[in-house]
Amino acid sequence: MSLTYTAYDVLRNLRAVSNMFFVAVLPAVLFVLFGVAQGWSSASLPGGNVSAYVMVSMAAYGAITATTGIAGSAAVERLQGWGRQLALTPMGTAGYATTKVTVAMTLAVVPVLVVFTVGLFTNAAMDDLWRWVLSGVLAVVLSSVFALYGLAAGLIFRSDAAVGAASGCLVVLGFFGNVFMPLSGGLLEVARFTPVYGIVGLARYPVTEGTVTTMDGIQTDSVWLLLANTVAWALVFGAAALLAARKATARR
Amino acid sequence: MNRTNTATTPAPRPSANPAIEVRDVVKTFHTRSETVHAVKGVSLEIPRGAVVALLGPNGAGKTTLLDMVLGMTDPTAGTVAVCGEPPRSATSHGRVGAVQQVGGLLPDVTVREAVTMIASLYPDPLPVAEALERSGAAEFAGRKIFKCSGGQQQRVRFALALLPRPELLVLDEPTAGMDVASRTAFWEALRAQTADGLTVVFATHYLQEAEQMADRVVLMDAGRITFDGSVHELRSTSRHHTVSFAWPSDEPVPALPGASKVTRAHGRVSVRTQDADAVARAVLTGTAASELEVSRGGLDEAFAALLRHDDTA
Repeated sequence: MSLTYTAYDVLRNLRAVSNMFFVAVLPAVLFVLFGVAQGWSSASLPGGNVSAYVMVSMAAYGAITATTGIAGSAAVERLQGWGRQLALTPMGTAGYATTKVTVAMTLAVVPVLVVFTVGLFTNAAMDDLWRWVLSGVLAVVLSSVFALYGLAAGLIFRSDAAVGAASGCLVVLGFFGNVFMPLSGGLLEVARFTPVYGIVGLARYPVTEGTVTTMDGIQTDSVWLLLANTVAWALVFGAAALLAARKATARR
Repeated sequence: MNRTNTATTPAPRPSANPAIEVRDVVKTFHTRSETVHAVKGVSLEIPRGAVVALLGPNGAGKTTLLDMVLGMTDPTAGTVAVCGEPPRSATSHGRVGAVQQVGGLLPDVTVREAVTMIASLYPDPLPVAEALERSGAAEFAGRKIFKCSGGQQQRVRFALALLPRPELLVLDEPTAGMDVASRTAFWEALRAQTADGLTVVFATHYLQEAEQMADRVVLMDAGRITFDGSVHELRSTSRHHTVSFAWPSDEPVPALPGASKVTRAHGRVSVRTQDADAVARAVLTGTAASELEVSRGGLDEAFAALLRHDDTA
């Protein structure tokens, strides 16, 4: 892997103002609206307060937006002309994949840093430092599942518009993933099977320790249920990306 | 980490091998509805230092052939060797630079950034500033790619092609869509590179480019090589001559033996013929014509005739 190439690729993505708006600014604004400025923000949870809960949710949402976009555009970029340019260099598929994973993970750090910084200077509170660190690291690491989602979308539809649409779908998936507002009843039962639910649940675990606040009372998610959701969707997206990649190369 | 010499010791460069060696190559594509025979048995050897033009109409198989040379696609049958190596290993050893017809550039980086990014992937690249200078891209190096004109983007691709210090340069219609001035400038920049023994193969639709740049012309048509020789030899495949002479514009043109086409303009009559001697003799002895000129058919005619597999063009 070339550090120079990776650094320029990170820089190029950081400069894409419209993307960075959805990756970092929007989650920070949503956090201020739904976390900082609400009456319930200082209500306490097992590992912190509600403001911290919203903060981690939004950071995780920003992180998956970043990885979806990077991985999706990586696929489109490679299938289109730039891939032919790279094919003439010593950089192979493995090198390209390593580079893009590094770029995606680096950019996933941005919303976490931005939203957590806003939280730190407002009213987000967690009981211990390790809870801050762990939830931040989990948000970044688990967003890699959505790199597979973006990759599959890019490989199947082969256009930047499709990658944009896949990123747009994250709003819906985020809603069903219990990211934006607490779901209840039947909707929550369905939500537990949707792809964002596990990731955001795990990232919030240091704050919630598994408790789920609903309109009709407190429920609990076991860490195993959240892990099972995450792994299952990682496998689904991974398989889709693998199949699409095989089909894409077979056409040559 | 990409500059450590121990990890990426350049493989020995056996200059005895020809730059390109294509043997009995066939390439067949299968689409859902049909089977396309893009290349139907091509053998070609290009020695080091040659400058070769690849001519042919759209769909002749030029790009497919070049794609196999670049290792972008594998032949259905036959073998391709580039500088004595399989194409993909030749490209990853930095022996080959290419300006491809469909070579997207990242739109949202500057020219210098694009060149720096690609340079960082090679173990021992040409310095970025030098690549920019040699390709003529230095003057707009700070511009974002999407703001560059088509001609400028070709300069960028040319700069990228120079980065590995290649032994072979492959250009697939590098000047397509450029205006005359950009085309001239592009070939001047390329000519400067060929001075130090670089092998160049370029596909083009412009016969003039072939004539000015290449010392050898390979003509492809319908997946086969139909001509392989010098520009002079290509020209001489045309048996057509044009006989022209001054003629008063109010008088009818006399009937001439062996004339295949007669046109008149600006007080002159032009006669296309396969027997220039007979036409010239008849004009000079039997008419009041003056200022007679005889010229051999152009490259265009030779080209057109070869493509039609006949000589009635």
